[in-house]
Amino acid sequence: MGSKGSAQTKNKRGVWGWLNPYHYNLERWAYVFQRVTGVAILAYVLGHLGDTSFFVGGPIGTGPSESSWSFISGIVENSFGHLILVLVVLIVFFHGMNGIRLILSEFGLIFRKPSAIEYPYRPKSMNAFERYLVWIAIAAAIIAAAWAWLILFG
Amino acid sequence: MLVQYATAVAAVILVSVHLVMQGVLVPYATAISFEKILSIYSSGIYAIFLEALLVVVLVHGFNGVRIILHEWRQTASWGTWVDIGTVIVIIATVGYGTRTIILAIFGGVGA
Repeated sequence: MGSKGSAQTKNKRGVWGWLNPYHYNLERWAYVFQRVTGVAILAYVLGHLGDTSFFVGGPIGTGPSESSWSFISGIVENSFGHLILVLVVLIVFFHGMNGIRLILSEFGLIFRKPSAIEYPYRPKSMNAFERYLVWIAIAAAIIAAAWAWLILFG
Repeated sequence: MLVQYATAVAAVILVSVHLVMQGVLVPYATAISFEKILSIYSSGIYAIFLEALLVVVLVHGFNGVRIILHEWRQTASWGTWVDIGTVIVIIATVGYGTRTIILAIFGGVGA
């Protein structure tokens, strides 16, 4: 009963479980970063909704206002704001590319046909291509962030 | 999950176009200038594109948070309140973003 209880506890760790990918494989790390970057991107989008609303005078504006837009631009268009944008591009590209991998996985398009698991007990449905896609997502994110850096700081 | 996947695919396409237009096709300094943004909204097509981007990204984002919250606690009442809260937050944020787009198109240009 005790071991069953601990197994149930282990399987019901919820958010705290997926936040700790230590001792797990590359796909598990990708899973954690997919969620962390997703929440971070949503936070940026909400901030972006706020700053773009200043194009029309902010929350109580009534139409396009050049002075209001200049005000918010003075706050966000600087080196720190541009650094945030580079980081946003980095995590957006990782999230998007890794998300495509997850969708392909969900519909079984990048898995081998499952078969009996034999020693050394590596799941045969997982293949190198599926793992390469994680690295492609990371590489794409770094290249996109470098490009954004050149545009904003070059 | 179908909503999450459908909005994910749509978001990849729409966000890619948005990023390309904000610094690749148009120099960044020009893309964020008041006159350029005003001309973009006036075109109508791009305003519709921005509305689609707004809806797709917010539905995808908040539905993702809803999924995380469902994993956090697994009780029926929690799940119901999370679902209701998600719909309310999506409507509120899409409404706020839509207001910006509508005012940018139809609002009189101020100082």
